[in-house]
Amino acid sequence: CGDSFLQLAPVSNPNAGNFFKTKADFDLASNAAYATLYTIYNPEGPVSYTGELMGDNVTILNISGNMADKWQFRDYTLAPANTMVYQFWQDFYRSLYNINIVLDKIETADVDAAYKDKVKGEMMFLRSLYYFQMVQIWGEIPLVTKPITAEESYGVLRSPVTEVYAQIVKDLQFAASKLPLASAAGAGKVSKGAAQALLGKVYLTMGDKTNAATTLKEVVSSGQYQLLPSYATLWSPTNKNTKESIFEIQYLGGSSTAPFSDYYLGFFPNSNALGFYGSGMNQVVDDTWNEYETGDARRVASIDTGFTDAKGTFTRVKFPKKWQDKTAPIIGQRIAANNNFMVLRYADVLLLLTEATGDAQYLNQVRKRAGMPEFGTAAYPSKYSTIEAATEHERRVELAFEFQRWFDLKRTNRALTVLAAKGKSVSQAKLLIPIPNVVRDQNSKITQNAGY
Amino acid sequence: QNKPVTGKITDETGKPVPGVSIVVKSTTTGTISNAEGAYSLAAPENATLVFSSVSYETQEIAINKRSIINVSLLPSSKILNEVVVVGYGTQSKRAVTGAVASINNKQFQDRSFSNVAQSLAGQVAGVNISQAQGAPGSSPFIKIRGVSSITAGTNPLLVVDGVPLENFNLNMINPQDIESVEVLKDASSAAIYGSRGSSGVVIVTTKLGKAGKPSVSVNLEYGSQKVARQIEMMDAQQFIRTYIDAKNNAWIAAGGKATDGNALRPTLLKIPEDFLTNPQQFGAGTNWQDVMFRTAPMYNGQISVSGGTEKTQYMFSGAYLDQTAILDMNYYKRLALRSNVKTMVTDKLTIGLNLGVTSIFDRTEGTKGKSDVISLGLQSNPHFPVYNENGNLGYRDPNSTWFRFTSFGDMNLWHPYSLTREVDKGTKSFNTLGTAYLEYNILKNLKFRTSLSGNLFNTRNHFYWNDKQKYGYSAVLAAQANAGNSYMFNWLSENTLTYDKQIGDHSLTGLVGYTSQKQRDETMYVAANNFPNDLVHTLNAGTVTAGNTTASEWSLLSYIARLQYNFNNRYFLTGTIRRDGMSRFGDNNKWGYFPSVSAGWLISDEAFMSNLKNINNLKLRVSYGVTGNNQIPNYGAVSLLAASNYVYGSTMNNGLRVSSIANPNLKWEKTNMFNLGLDLGILNNRISGSVEYYNSLTRDMLLFVPVPDITGFSSQLTNIGKMRNRGIELNISTKNTVGEFKWTTDFNFSRNRNKVLQLGPGNAPIQYVDNVVTVRTEVGQPVSNFYGYIFDGVFKNQAEVDAYPHHASTTPGDPKVRDVNGDGKITDADRTIIGNNQPDFIAGMTNTFTYKGFDFSFMLQGAYGGEIANNNIRYLGTWDNGRNFYASMYNYWRSESDPGDGIHFKPNVSYQGLQKQFSSYWVSDASFLRMKNIRVSYAIPSKMLSKMNMKSARVYVNAENVFILSKYKDGYDPENTTYGTTSYSSSMETSGSYTSGNAPVPGAFQGVDYGSYPLPRVITVGVKVDF
Repeated sequence: CGDSFLQLAPVSNPNAGNFFKTKADFDLASNAAYATLYTIYNPEGPVSYTGELMGDNVTILNISGNMADKWQFRDYTLAPANTMVYQFWQDFYRSLYNINIVLDKIETADVDAAYKDKVKGEMMFLRSLYYFQMVQIWGEIPLVTKPITAEESYGVLRSPVTEVYAQIVKDLQFAASKLPLASAAGAGKVSKGAAQALLGKVYLTMGDKTNAATTLKEVVSSGQYQLLPSYATLWSPTNKNTKESIFEIQYLGGSSTAPFSDYYLGFFPNSNALGFYGSGMNQVVDDTWNEYETGDARRVASIDTGFTDAKGTFTRVKFPKKWQDKTAPIIGQRIAANNNFMVLRYADVLLLLTEATGDAQYLNQVRKRAGMPEFGTAAYPSKYSTIEAATEHERRVELAFEFQRWFDLKRTNRALTVLAAKGKSVSQAKLLIPIPNVVRDQNSKITQNAGY
Repeated sequence: QNKPVTGKITDETGKPVPGVSIVVKSTTTGTISNAEGAYSLAAPENATLVFSSVSYETQEIAINKRSIINVSLLPSSKILNEVVVVGYGTQSKRAVTGAVASINNKQFQDRSFSNVAQSLAGQVAGVNISQAQGAPGSSPFIKIRGVSSITAGTNPLLVVDGVPLENFNLNMINPQDIESVEVLKDASSAAIYGSRGSSGVVIVTTKLGKAGKPSVSVNLEYGSQKVARQIEMMDAQQFIRTYIDAKNNAWIAAGGKATDGNALRPTLLKIPEDFLTNPQQFGAGTNWQDVMFRTAPMYNGQISVSGGTEKTQYMFSGAYLDQTAILDMNYYKRLALRSNVKTMVTDKLTIGLNLGVTSIFDRTEGTKGKSDVISLGLQSNPHFPVYNENGNLGYRDPNSTWFRFTSFGDMNLWHPYSLTREVDKGTKSFNTLGTAYLEYNILKNLKFRTSLSGNLFNTRNHFYWNDKQKYGYSAVLAAQANAGNSYMFNWLSENTLTYDKQIGDHSLTGLVGYTSQKQRDETMYVAANNFPNDLVHTLNAGTVTAGNTTASEWSLLSYIARLQYNFNNRYFLTGTIRRDGMSRFGDNNKWGYFPSVSAGWLISDEAFMSNLKNINNLKLRVSYGVTGNNQIPNYGAVSLLAASNYVYGSTMNNGLRVSSIANPNLKWEKTNMFNLGLDLGILNNRISGSVEYYNSLTRDMLLFVPVPDITGFSSQLTNIGKMRNRGIELNISTKNTVGEFKWTTDFNFSRNRNKVLQLGPGNAPIQYVDNVVTVRTEVGQPVSNFYGYIFDGVFKNQAEVDAYPHHASTTPGDPKVRDVNGDGKITDADRTIIGNNQPDFIAGMTNTFTYKGFDFSFMLQGAYGGEIANNNIRYLGTWDNGRNFYASMYNYWRSESDPGDGIHFKPNVSYQGLQKQFSSYWVSDASFLRMKNIRVSYAIPSKMLSKMNMKSARVYVNAENVFILSKYKDGYDPENTTYGTTSYSSSMETSGSYTSGNAPVPGAFQGVDYGSYPLPRVITVGVKVDF
C-alpha cells in the first residue's frame, strides 16, 4: 500500500472541500447562517446585555457565571478585559463568517439567478442587522464582508461609522429590492418588509428622518402587516409569525434536540426552586413597573411579580414574562419553551414612524390597541406633553424587554439624561463599550474607544 | 611447595557461581569452578589466586597458608553487561550511545500501583512523573525532559512489547507482569520512533520464562488507603460569621448599616434569621470531607507460572485487584491475564505470541474538578446536617424544617451522597493486546522478523440519577440516565531484516524495516429521561432523548533503518533514520524524515586507563537527532462542517456551517536534540553514576494559534514557532556498605529550562483563560506562565489606601494591588507574570538497607521552584454565592483594629474591585518534598523453605505517599492538576467555547487545580511465595 493508505476522509464530519456546490448545499449553509440569530439574540447574548441591561429597564442580581464581569454592563464599569465583551465580539464575527461565506461562494455557484438573489438578500439582511447592532455597541468596527485569512485580517482595521452605515444601507437596499413580500417569503424567512423596516430604523439612527419616513411608510402601505387585537398573547407559543410580526426568530419547543426558546428561563430569577434553573438575566426594576400608566394591561402582560416554590412560599421578584410557555416540559433544569422572538414588529414600525414624522396617528394606533387614551386627547397623561416624550414613553412600555430600550435612548440622544437620572454613572464615552483587550493584544493597530 | 586449596565461589546473593577461572598469579596453573561453584587446586602457600569470570569483578586473594578459601564475587561492570531494550531490538548497556534509563522489575516490586509508570516517579532523572489525581486507576502525567509542545500533545509514546501505542492506558498491563521499563530520553534513541518520539518513549517489556524447572509464584496483598490530609474548611460558626460579614460589607458599601434588618435590604443581601439570632444551634456543623471520604481497603492477588526449555519458554499469569476507593461508592477492580510463549520450531524458525487480556470495572469520580463531587463537596455549607429529620439529604426537601433556607438563593449544598449514593454508575473496560511474531534466520547473520499486533479496547459506561436525589443536589432534578460505549481497534504490521557481522575487531549490526499501523475509534452515546420511578435503571424504562455515534481513524506508514557499528567493543557508532507518512497531516506534507547519529567511547577500556584501578567504568556518549510530534486531531488539516440547524415555522431544518479552516500544508512538529552523557563507575563500582546534558529545539510547532476573531475563528492549527528545552540530569548510586549489612543509595536530580523562542505573527503572546485563571505563553519565557495581578496584602486603613494607587472602589480591608508599571493607576496593564508550574529542579533519592533476609528502603521525591494556581479560590477563597470558605481565609480583615493576617481581604457579596480577578492570591509555591515510599520485607531463610517445597518466600509491608512537606495548604496536593496532557482536546476543535470550567487547551493549564482528587496514603502488607 502507499499514499492511498494515508488518505483518510473524516468519518463523522462532512468535509468542507466538496460543499457549496448545489442548491441543497446553499440551503444548508444559509440555514446555518440563520441559526446565528440564536447566538446574537440569546437572552444572555450581546443584544440583550446592551439593549436592556445597559438601559434602565432591568438589572441583574445573582447570575450564574462570572458575576463581576456581568455586573460591569449594568454599572457602566466595563473593562477591556471583560470576558463577556470578548465573547460578544467573537459571537458577532463568527456569525458574520457564516453569512459571508455563503455570499462569497454563491457568487460563482451554478444555481439559478432568482435563487441566488433570494439567498443574497437574506444574507445581506442578516449581515446588516448584525453590523447595525455592532456599530451602535462599539462604534467603529472592522468591516468584514467576505471570508478572510488570518494574514489578511491583520490589515483590516476599524472602519469609520459612516462607512459601516453605508455598507448597511447598501445591503438593505439590495435585500429590499430582491426579497419577496412577507406573504410569499415563508415563515421565518427574511421578507422585503423586514429589510425595509430595518432600513427605516437604520436611517432614523443615522439621523435621516426623511428617508426613514419614506421607507417606513412603504412598510405600512405594503398591506402586509397589522396590529393584533390582543397585546398579551403576542408572544404566545400558539401565536407565531402573525400579521404583526415583521422579522421573527424561530424556535421549536418540547425537546432537547430542537432549538427551544430560552427567554423566559433566561429572565427567570437565578433560582432552582421549581425544578428548572433560571439564569437571572434582565430582572425588572420598579422604575419600569411604575412607567406603566394605571390600567395599562401591558404591565401584567410583560412583568411577573414573583413565583411560588414547591412548598407554596411566594418569592416577590419582578421579571419579564412575555415569553412564558406554561405547557413546556422541563428538560435537565431547562424549560423547553416554544415561543418565538420578534426582532421587528409592526408596533415598533408605527412608533418609529411617529418618531420620524412627529405625526401622532401611528403612535395612537398602538395606544388604541392597548386600550389606552390617545395622544392629544384630554385623558392622555399630561406628563408626556411633547410627541417626543410620548414616543419615548410608549416605546418603553410597548417594547419592554425586547432589547430596544438602550438603542432607543442612544438614537434619541436621551441616554445620558435618562440614565443619569436613574443613578447610573455614565458618560458620553461609556455609551460605547470597549474593544476587547484580546483583540488589541493580537493586532496592536486596532484602536481603543475613548474612555477605556 | 604446592598445597591443596579448596573452596566455594558464590555471588552476592550466596548462589554458587560455576565457570569461574582460578589461576595462580603469574603462572599458567589454574582450574575452573564446577556447577556447585566448588574448586580445588594445588598452589604454593604464599601464592596469590586470581578469580576471574566474564560477569564478575576479578579478585586477587593471597593464600596465606589457608587450605579453604571461599570467595564471594561482586558482579563486575554488571552495569555494562545488562541488556537494555531499545527500539526494535536490544543492546548491551555497554553499547548504548543515547540517553536511556532502564528500570527493572526489582525496583517496583512490592509497590501498590495499578500503573507501572506511577512507580517510576522519583526514580529516573529527567522524567517528571506527577500524580495529578489520586483516584484509583488515574494515570500519572509523564513529562520527559520538559514540555515539548505548546498545544499539541506532550504524552510520551508508549511501546508495549514492541507495539507503539498512542494514548494507551498502562493500567491495562499488570505491573508484576513487567520485566523492565526503558525510557528513551534523547532524540537519537527515540528517533527510531520518528514522528512520535519528541516527547520521549516509554518501552514496557513483559516477562518471559527462563529455561529450567517451572516456577510458580503466588503473591497476596492487603492494603488500606486514607486521605492523608484534609483541606481545612470553615466550620459552621466560622462560615456563618463570614457569610454575615460578606453581606454586611456589601450593604455598607451600598450605603446601609450593618444593623439594618432584612426588611431594609435587597434580596441579595438578606441574611437568614437563624444566623443572626441563634447561630449556636448549628454547632460546628458538618465536615463534608468526612462525609465524602473513608478509609478504604484494597486486595490484590496474583499467580504466575513460568519456565521452559532451551527451545520453548513461557509465562502465564493471572492477577486480580479489588480496590475500594477513598471516595464514597467508588471502586476499581481489575482482572489481568497474560500468556507469553516463544518457541524455536526449527534451528531457523522461532515463533511467539504475547497476549494480554485485561478487564477493568470501575467507578471513579471526582477527577473532573469544578463540577465534580470532590470540588462540590468542599463547597457545601457546613451548617447543613448529613441527613435532615426525614432521612433526606438536603434542605430542598419541602417537608423539612430546613426548607426555610430555600428562600436564600445563596445557600449551597451539593451533598456528596447526591452524586455518589443517588447515582448508579460505572465503567467496564476490556482490553486485548496481542502480538504474534515470527523470526527466521535466512542466513547465519541475516534474520527476518515479522509481527502482527492488535489492540482491541472496548469500554462502556452507564449512569442513572435517582429522581429528586433525596433533595441533596443543587436543584431537585427528575431522574435521568445515559449510557455510552467506545471502541478502539489498532493494528500494526512490522517487518524487519537484521544483519549481524563480526569482522575481526569490527562489529556491525544493520536493521531495515517497514511498518504500517492503523486505528479506528468509535463512540456511542444514548441519554434518556422520563422514568416512571427509580426501580429500573436501564434506558428502556425511560424515554430516549438523545443519541449519537461517531467514528474517526488514523493511519501511519513507516520505513526504518539503523546501522550500529563498534570497534573493539570500545568505540560505538549508531545511525538511524525513519520516514513516516501519516493521515493526519496536510496533503502537501504527509511525509517526514527523522534521522539521528550517536557515538560512544568506552574510555575505561583503553590501555592508558589500565593503571587507574579505581576507575571501573568511564564512558562518553554524544548524540544528535530529530524526532517528531503527531499528537493533533485526526482531521486537523481538513476543513470540517458542523451541524447548525434552524427552525422555520414549526419544522426544524438542517444546517451546516464551516467549523474549522483547512491547512493542506500542515506538517510534523520537529524536535532536534543534542545529548552529551558521561557514565562513571569508580572504586569497584561502589560509586557509579551518569551525567547528561541536553539541548533540544522544537520548531514548526503544531500550534492552535489564536487568530484575530474577525476571521470568524479564534484559532487555527498551524506550524509555527520555536521552543527550547535544555537541562542536566544526574544519577548517582553508591554502595555505602557491602558485606552482610548492605546500604545503597540511589540519587537522581534533573533540571530543565524551557524557553519559547518564537511564536505566531508578530510573536503575539498566546493567552488562555479558564474562569479568570490566565496562562500566557510569550517569547523569552517558559510555556504557560500564570499571568495576573500581584496582591501585596490588605489595605489596613484609609491612610494606606490614599497613599497608594488603587482601584476606584477600594476601601480599607480590600487588597492592595501592585502598580506594576508604576503609572499611578491600577489597570489591566498591571498584570504580570506571577508563576509557572514547571519546577526549577526535581530530585529523588532511594536508600536501601539489606541485612540477612531483611530489606528496608525508603524513597524521597521532590520538586522545587514551581507554582500552582488554585482555581478553587474562585469558590472557596473568595465569596462566591455563599459557598463555604477555606479556614485559612477566616483571618480576614475585619476592622482597622482587627486587621487579620494581612493577606486575606474582607469578604463581600459583590466585590467591586479586582478581588475576584486572577492574582498572586491564587498562586502558591508548589515545591514539595514527599516521602513517596517506604518498604520493609523479610525473606524467609531457605532452610525453612526447602521443607515446604518453596524456593523463596517473602513478607513485606509497603507504604506509599507517607507524608509531604509543602506550602500548598488550600488544596490537597501540590501535584494536583485538574487538566490533562492529553494529546489534544476536542474543545480546541470547536474553540471559543472556553468561558469557564473547561480549560480551552488542557495541556496549557498544567498546574491549575480546580478541585482535584487527593492522593491517598496507602499501606499494604503482602506475601510472595515462589515454588
